[in-house]
Amino acid sequence: MSVPRKAWLDALAADLGADALVVASLGANARYMPHLPIKAAHFALCDAMGAAIPLALGMALAKPERPVIALEGDGSLMMALGTLATVGAARPRNLTILLFENRHYESSGGQDLPRVEVDFVAVARASNVPIAERVDAASALSKALERARTAGPAFYLLPTAYDPSEAIPPYSERPDEIRLNFARRLSAR
Amino acid sequence: MADPGPATRHGARAIVGAFEAAGVSLVPSVPDTWIGWLMEDVRRSTKLRVVDVTREEEAVAIACGAALCGTRAAVVIQNAGLLNCGAIVGSLVQLYRIPCFFLISYRGDERDPTYYHVPKGRATEATLDAWDIRYACAGGPGRIAAQIAQGFTWTEEARAPFALLFGAEDLA
Repeated sequence: MSVPRKAWLDALAADLGADALVVASLGANARYMPHLPIKAAHFALCDAMGAAIPLALGMALAKPERPVIALEGDGSLMMALGTLATVGAARPRNLTILLFENRHYESSGGQDLPRVEVDFVAVARASNVPIAERVDAASALSKALERARTAGPAFYLLPTAYDPSEAIPPYSERPDEIRLNFARRLSAR
Repeated sequence: MADPGPATRHGARAIVGAFEAAGVSLVPSVPDTWIGWLMEDVRRSTKLRVVDVTREEEAVAIACGAALCGTRAAVVIQNAGLLNCGAIVGSLVQLYRIPCFFLISYRGDERDPTYYHVPKGRATEATLDAWDIRYACAGGPGRIAAQIAQGFTWTEEARAPFALLFGAEDLA
């Protein structure tokens, strides 16, 4: 059973404190980000596939007192699967990875991912990530995030519906704005 | 060139001292032989945290994440790894104008004429030019600390990447 992406994002927005730092992978997550009712500092990637998790890892190591959340897609993660081993080695307790699994390259037109059933939760577990689980309902996300705050790093797979007719907002911030807004929110807290 | 050994790696110790003096906290890295020698000294520092990564692009992203949070990081990779980094340099470092300092082992130039390194050596400076990455070649153990300090200043003032290329002699 998969959940609409917006339902996951709404559940996340409802749970996020102003002290959190959020990195969104390119595509739908990044495009929704400025439209979510959140006060957390957020950094949206326009293009860099596979960079969300290591970018968030750098933030987590630099700001160990603040929760850092990476929103990644399954296509992006496949491009940089070794990054889970990097996280498992570094083990920052304040890093949570949310993997939106929809088995499509949504940002480039909805092409299929390579047709193989990758068990990302098992890969995360095998990579020494202490919490690696699937979350099946948006209503369960808050509890999962709460647990991650005390025992991370955490990896949660979010089964996400692919809907080609979904009205995803366009990119509405340019890179300089994204960087400056991130800095402003980071220091406001 | 063989490892000069921990007792005589004056250049390596100068690099560690320069990182510490610059306020570097994180050193994301992929090793090669020379970087392995250097990292023995980096790992002895109580001020520097080495972040072992599986691909060089991760090292760049980690350094950018740290920079966005006001923390200095040094990406330490081989020039083979630099050649992996075109997309991340273009789509993260350059696109968002994030300071990023690279320390790169320069394999395959005239000081290191190993046949399997030579193609990388021939492509390194041309690639840095093509990607609009400012760079310098290390000038030996006596100069490298000052070059690191200058590199960090430049990357932050310019909001653009800077690479310092080093050879085995620079660690001795």
